[in-house]
Amino acid sequence: MSSGDLKFYYFDLQARGELTRLILAAAGRSYEDIRFGFDKWPEYKPKMILGQAPVLELADGTQLPQSLTIARYVAREAGLAGSDNLESAKIDAVVDTQKDVNETYFSKVFPEKDETKKAEELKKFLDETVTKHVENLGKLKKAYSKDEKYFVGDKLSWADLFVFQSIQALLQAVPEVKGKFGEQFKPLMDAINGNENIKKYLDARPQTAF
Amino acid sequence: MSTYKLYYFDGRGRAEISRLILAIAGQKFEDIRYQSNEWPSHKSEMPLDQMPVLEIDGMKLPQSMTIARFLARQFHLAGKDNLEQAKIEAVADTATDLLNKFGPIIWYQEEPEKKASISEFFANELPKHLHNLETLAKAYSNGGSFFVGNNLTFADLCVYDVLENILEVDANILNQYPWLKTNRDEVAKNTNIATYLINRSQTEF
Repeated sequence: MSSGDLKFYYFDLQARGELTRLILAAAGRSYEDIRFGFDKWPEYKPKMILGQAPVLELADGTQLPQSLTIARYVAREAGLAGSDNLESAKIDAVVDTQKDVNETYFSKVFPEKDETKKAEELKKFLDETVTKHVENLGKLKKAYSKDEKYFVGDKLSWADLFVFQSIQALLQAVPEVKGKFGEQFKPLMDAINGNENIKKYLDARPQTAF
Repeated sequence: MSTYKLYYFDGRGRAEISRLILAIAGQKFEDIRYQSNEWPSHKSEMPLDQMPVLEIDGMKLPQSMTIARFLARQFHLAGKDNLEQAKIEAVADTATDLLNKFGPIIWYQEEPEKKASISEFFANELPKHLHNLETLAKAYSNGGSFFVGNNLTFADLCVYDVLENILEVDANILNQYPWLKTNRDEVAKNTNIATYLINRSQTEF
């Protein structure tokens, strides 16, 4: 399959684009990874279906917006979205739970310009949100996993990749979060870091601010 | 034959989309509604201490949109293939963006803050989301009255549900959006939906 079949448009950042790039990497799927800086955005914006990024563009020009819809679509195409409806839903539940936490960080902590307020929001985020989140992930894993590594069943799914990416991104932004995750996700992180396709992608991917 | 139980508060909120799907599918389910003073004693029974929760044959699933997507797939309202499903989800996500902006104002804010937030929402948020919905319809609807592929799907129900809350505040919001208006009428014409809506009890939210 030539890379002309699939185009992924996003900023030269991880943020809301990296999950899809990871899924495509895990699937060994080639695609055109179109990255642009903020300065180039005015050129790209009118070409994006809702004037937002990321966008996935198929060979026939069809565009899909919405980062998690795109990720779920490529995950389904790659067999990383569960083997039946219920498994897909369990995976979605883990994804939605992680998404809630990411959104809390991006809406409450990240944009805060006042240093004092930001420190307060960050403390609240770490003490309350992340603590509860680690508990929640543990509960979901206990309910859905058949394996010590993966969240649902006994194979890698896009939920695992989303948690992996989110933890990595959070660690980069807020190093003090490290202690909060304990050892419980180490088997998962090791498995993903050790996955041949993913390792190749991670070794080659550009370093970005976030 | 699977059994379904839906747990939520006594209102539409984040559960109504799932009730609409179950209604259109003609699927019987236990519609469990907790009053706010009952909820604390049931909180620990839910996977993430939150509602809605869907219980399918004894297994509990959290997260409102996960539940809705599951039910949509279960009852063939999620498109005929992966790509259609993705188009439907793109519309649903866009509608959910709107709900996430409007819901908290309506559900949690008090006057006079609420009135100011509503004005701000109508002026600065709503138009771009309605425009986005029409853009997606143009791209995905094959020229018909439904969002994706000429059939009533989860996308149409999502938009119907989200706009209901907003129309309660201002019944004229779709006047500049003829396609959305027609789409809404088409959803309401569906027999199962029409019956459900007539029999549905009025709730505060």
